Amino acid sequence: MNFSDLNILPWLIPIPPLVAFFVIILFAGRSKLLTHIIAIGAIFLSWLMSFYAVYTIVTQHKDLGTAAALGGKGVFASSVTWLVNGATGPGTATGALGMGVMLDPLNTIMLFMVPLACLLIFIYTLGYMAHDPRNTRFFAFLSLFAGAMLTLVVADNLLLLFIGWEVMGLCSYLLIGFWYEKPSAYQAAIKAFMTTRVGDVIMMIGIAYLWASTGTLSFRAILHNEDVLHKLATTPALGGFLGLTAAGLIGLCIVAGTIGKSAQFPLHVWLPDAMEGPTPVSAMIHAAAMVSAGVYLVIRMYPLLSAGGNPEAGVLTPPMILMSIVGSFTALFAATIAVSQNDIKKVLAYSTISQLGFMIAALGIGAYVAAAFHLITHAFFKALLFLGSGSVIHAMEHGEHAAHAAHEGHTAHDQGHVPDASPAHGGHEAPHAATEPIEHHEHPLHDPEPAFDPQDMRNMGGLGRNMPVTMWTFIIGGASLAGFPLITAGFWSKDEILADAWHLSAQSPLAVLVLVSLAVAAILTAFYTFRQIALTFWGEPRTEAAKFAQHNDGTAEARNISAQMTAPLIVLAFMAIVAGFAGVNPGFPIIGAITSRFFPQGAPFANFVGRTLLEAPEHLDFSWWPVLVSFSVFLIGVGMGYALYVRRQYALGQKDPMEDIVGADIYRILQKKYYVDEFYGWAFINPLRWIATTLVSQIVDKGIIDGTLNIIATSATWIGNLFREFNRVVIDGVSDGIPDAIADAGRSLRSVQSGHIQQYLLYALVAALWVGLNLILLAVFPLAVPWAALAQVVIAVLLILFFNVSGSRASN
Amino acid sequence: MLGEITKFFLSLSTLTFLPMLGAGVVMLLKIVLPEQKSLGRNVALLFSLIVLIQSIALFGYYAAGTCPIGNVPANANANASASPFVFACEHQSEFFPLVGSTWHVGIDGLSAAMILLTGILTPLAMLISYEIEENVHEHMALFLFFEMGLLGLFVSLDLFTFFLFWELSLVPMYFLINIWGGENRRYASFKFFLYAMGGSLGLLLAIQLISSVAGTMDIPTLVAMWPKNLNATGGALTLPFGASLETVKNIAFLAFFVAFAIKVPIWPFHTWLPDAHTEAPTAGSMLLAGVMLKLGAYGFLRLVIPLFPAQSQAFAPVIAILAMAGIILGALAAWGQTDFKRLVAYSSVNHMGFVVLGIAAFAAIYNTILTGGATSAEQMRSVTLATNGAVLQMFNHGLSSAGMFLLVGALYHKAHTRDLTKFGGLWTLIPVYGTLLIFTSMASLGLPGLGGFVSEFQVVAGSWWFFPTITAVSMLGLLMTGAYILKGIRAVLHGPVNEHWRDHHLEISPREVLALAPLVILILVTGVWPNWIMPVINQTVTRLFGL
Amino acid sequence: MVPLNAYLIVAAGLFSIGMFAALARRNVIAILMGVELMLNAVNINLVAFWRFLTPATEASSGLKVGMSGQAFAAFVFVVAAAEVAVGLALIISMYRNRRTVIAEDVDTLRY
Repeated sequence: MNFSDLNILPWLIPIPPLVAFFVIILFAGRSKLLTHIIAIGAIFLSWLMSFYAVYTIVTQHKDLGTAAALGGKGVFASSVTWLVNGATGPGTATGALGMGVMLDPLNTIMLFMVPLACLLIFIYTLGYMAHDPRNTRFFAFLSLFAGAMLTLVVADNLLLLFIGWEVMGLCSYLLIGFWYEKPSAYQAAIKAFMTTRVGDVIMMIGIAYLWASTGTLSFRAILHNEDVLHKLATTPALGGFLGLTAAGLIGLCIVAGTIGKSAQFPLHVWLPDAMEGPTPVSAMIHAAAMVSAGVYLVIRMYPLLSAGGNPEAGVLTPPMILMSIVGSFTALFAATIAVSQNDIKKVLAYSTISQLGFMIAALGIGAYVAAAFHLITHAFFKALLFLGSGSVIHAMEHGEHAAHAAHEGHTAHDQGHVPDASPAHGGHEAPHAATEPIEHHEHPLHDPEPAFDPQDMRNMGGLGRNMPVTMWTFIIGGASLAGFPLITAGFWSKDEILADAWHLSAQSPLAVLVLVSLAVAAILTAFYTFRQIALTFWGEPRTEAAKFAQHNDGTAEARNISAQMTAPLIVLAFMAIVAGFAGVNPGFPIIGAITSRFFPQGAPFANFVGRTLLEAPEHLDFSWWPVLVSFSVFLIGVGMGYALYVRRQYALGQKDPMEDIVGADIYRILQKKYYVDEFYGWAFINPLRWIATTLVSQIVDKGIIDGTLNIIATSATWIGNLFREFNRVVIDGVSDGIPDAIADAGRSLRSVQSGHIQQYLLYALVAALWVGLNLILLAVFPLAVPWAALAQVVIAVLLILFFNVSGSRASN
Repeated sequence: MLGEITKFFLSLSTLTFLPMLGAGVVMLLKIVLPEQKSLGRNVALLFSLIVLIQSIALFGYYAAGTCPIGNVPANANANASASPFVFACEHQSEFFPLVGSTWHVGIDGLSAAMILLTGILTPLAMLISYEIEENVHEHMALFLFFEMGLLGLFVSLDLFTFFLFWELSLVPMYFLINIWGGENRRYASFKFFLYAMGGSLGLLLAIQLISSVAGTMDIPTLVAMWPKNLNATGGALTLPFGASLETVKNIAFLAFFVAFAIKVPIWPFHTWLPDAHTEAPTAGSMLLAGVMLKLGAYGFLRLVIPLFPAQSQAFAPVIAILAMAGIILGALAAWGQTDFKRLVAYSSVNHMGFVVLGIAAFAAIYNTILTGGATSAEQMRSVTLATNGAVLQMFNHGLSSAGMFLLVGALYHKAHTRDLTKFGGLWTLIPVYGTLLIFTSMASLGLPGLGGFVSEFQVVAGSWWFFPTITAVSMLGLLMTGAYILKGIRAVLHGPVNEHWRDHHLEISPREVLALAPLVILILVTGVWPNWIMPVINQTVTRLFGL
Repeated sequence: MVPLNAYLIVAAGLFSIGMFAALARRNVIAILMGVELMLNAVNINLVAFWRFLTPATEASSGLKVGMSGQAFAAFVFVVAAAEVAVGLALIISMYRNRRTVIAEDVDTLRY
């Protein structure tokens, strides 16, 4: 087997991290060094193979893809039968499920982004988690996470994709709840798992339906097959359910999966809470893996989602309509929340939701390439921002310790504290009683002072002075997020989405909606990004902690950690700028001319990714209006930010300037995230909990079912008792009565046997006389015999009764 | 000579009665050496290990299609060859001619998988039973006796012996619960026994009715002839009391249905399960959930639907709705529990619901296939997938539920409480246990990459074509599965360390890890490469549908 | 010739005396004597009835049959003798064990 064969190679790409996971969990977990070597080595190996694949494809297989219009020559793929079904005949006619991998342009670009981002996050984690006692477990989970994402990327069928998808769900659960001692952490973990699972089960219905209709789940058999797509697009779903076609219903289900995984409204609630995990996890979830997977899924399934529609003519299919509405709404909705958040990671979390909304909305109006482009650029700059914010938090914690130490007369360089936070000092990062230095016990959990929050931007300010690298890389990332014109990747990808919306707005009113809401969201994006940078890095330090905040305090270990955390930032900052030039429209003045010199066939990204589809999306002509929109939204947003947060310095304890503008009530609603969590709790979770604990377990099972059984049992017992009574009274009465009567008679007659021999003689005499009398009677008055006999019986009965009564009296 | 020994060793009769021999030996040891408890345990384990080897060998030979015993051609009834079931390793001899019963045994893919499951789970349960200290010999002997009942049922191809083993499996479990169970064991064992007897009564009567009407108790013959309203020799049925054919069939169908529905259990016949599972000793729960519940589903697949295709088809929507109710209400009820073992017990209702859903899909179309009605390609591949999934789900649930009960029992054995509110933050104290618990829980939850997912996906994807709405609503149950599994993990492992347990030794013991390890490996292997077992099941199912 | 009635009256008187003794006397020996008297009264009756009422028939063998009255009387003698022997022995035994010969004091056969 030739492993450099691109048909085989994708099998191997996810393997190293998965193996690393098992090796670390089972064997290597005791040694930190070994764990680090294995984890980093594994992801490096994956990255190397991916890079080889991407490089080979970009340089030697430029015609990869299926779009005949662009000279596509098919994809690299190989598969095996994974689950037989029905007669073992040729092909998929009986619905056997295959497992396989493939390389097409779309997952080639994912393979460019994912392993690189993962590798950088792993390296960053070395420094960030250096002092965590469960460091090795963290690397194991992280490896599984990366392995699952890579599995998802190389999958050639929906089932394998779903496997990777769900394993990532597990990893996010484990990692968000990594500091499981904290209630907020495990609650966030459960919330993340359950919320995404809502989407997942709906998606599973879609997969089931897709399999039932086509007998396969292979992308090549479905997405690369006009006939199948056509059939799905023309068959009514379930005999005309809601007037949808089969493709429509399947598409809606799949979009639901994405809504869960990519945290779109109404399933967005888990993502901000996912900030409870250590920061590398946030980066992993927000950039490299989890949420990207959701968008990747819809981009991947786009031929199915759009089957039967024609976005260029303004005909959108139901899944696309859903995507454009949900995406544009979410983009705007999340951006309005982001402007009011004070937690540095929460702002980024809502910005992620908002940016994912951009991608979903773009795909909803058919901007295939733009969505994929924004996915890649966003992954880089968002990973950068998260890692940067991790650096900030790390430094703030350190600063807090240093400030404490300075106050208490200790040296500022207290080794034990450097990377580790304690619950006493904010409680946001890493409470580990087991390994904490002794001093921590002097600050018990219930510190009377209000807890210091190292993630609260109001506590920061002026951090740029001690952390120039972090600041500059963060600014680059922020600029890219905000769409700083012309040089940042974010600008180019966002510009392309807006351009697509602009071009379609003539055909489709939905495109107008998308354009307007995305433009407003982009203004807010620029605004909150500027606010974040201003509050964090600029101005004067607002707390002691901010004054001392840094992570390189001169010791060798700290320098090492600092290097491990800074290097990935620099690489990502580089990517956050240059990645954008791959997608510049050649018609763009000056810059387009420059890039066309390198890429003579036009925008390389659009060309390359466009070949994924059977029919390449058409190239947009350059137009000034969307560029003007992009420019102006950036300027408006930044201008607002400058006016509110730079011109007037924000001071600790002061009301947020936003509050004056929008009013206290609206601001509170924004800060409370529109009370969506509270609504879900009220509308779904609490009723369900009541149903589970009370209705089902108590009322139905114990009450109705067991109650019915009890009634049956009771009535059976009652009937049984009835029979028993009958037995006792009638049958036993007869059968027991005779011996009883005999016994009674014996009891009453026993006084006869007195033991006095003369009494016996008397009886004998009486009896003899009685017999004699009767004989005489018989001889003399034969006719009177019956009467005499009757009289004697009566006398006898009377005598017995008399004796009985007297006997029982005597016994009483 | 060696061939003869192999043949004897692998004969299904040896397989069935070897555990009973083992039980006898163990009881003999009690008389001879009553103080040597560990000897009794080890001998019992040894016997179950021999059975394990037998079952693995049988499975392997069956999968390879080279059963060394071969088929006994002298099948008493030539009409049996028309049966859609084809058996290997068959053997038939006189047994009870007075009632028309023969000792007829044989295996197909369905029973081979179940025998393998039984063979795997029994030694593991025995290994867990090592923690029992009182009446060791009786305990072990009862397990072997129970194994005989299970294996006998899976190999029986005669209604009489089927019923015999059906009842025989009940008795040891009753005693296991009643003697070695928890606090509420008398109520639980009594309820268990009454429920089971309630079902068995109808089953017995229905079996007698069928045998008197059709003139045979041979399952292959009956499956071939009974649905066509013919007796064993191809003549007309002799109906009793002037009853109509419809009445006879409906009564027999209902009796069969209720008997097997109780065992599965299908909602609303399930309330014996939480009590019995919760009160049974750990090893008993493992086998109860791991194998015994499968008897019911096995009965559906082997008897109810093949014998009563028309009635099953008419009843299929009801079965599907009950399956849905089981999936959703089982999950909700599990979520509502505070007793860890009870939570796991309810999860069985939830998971077996998927088996029933697959069975409902099977029932919905089998009659059409049998009578040669028009079927679409979608229907055919869907019903195959659903039925395959139901069987695989039986296997997978056997693994994961046994693993869950093992883990719950391991904790209970050391902590002496199962109250979820009393734990918390234990992962720090018991890392190995915690990791294993999460793994097994995830298998139970149906995480892709582990066994449960494959079969749940098969059932869902296969049932969709027949019951789209019911399947979609059942997915809500899958959501709730996540809720209760995470609740269990959260309550035990997550949260601040409960200081009460810091001085307790709660970590899982090496013996328990040894017992769990095969389950963990099998769950993982089945999730990653289900095709190791699927062809065996698929081949039988496919033949059933005449594909 | 003394008529039958005379024998019967004597026998009845004797019987009454015996019965009185048997019923009214407390001493066991007196009771026993009473019983003897009653037996003898019966014997008188038996012999008297035999003498007056039984026809002396001669069987074909020449033996005189119809001797039943005498035979009964002879039985009664034997029985009476045996009774006295056993009865006195019992009384002696009773006296040895109980130191009494009063009938009312001995009621071990009471219910």
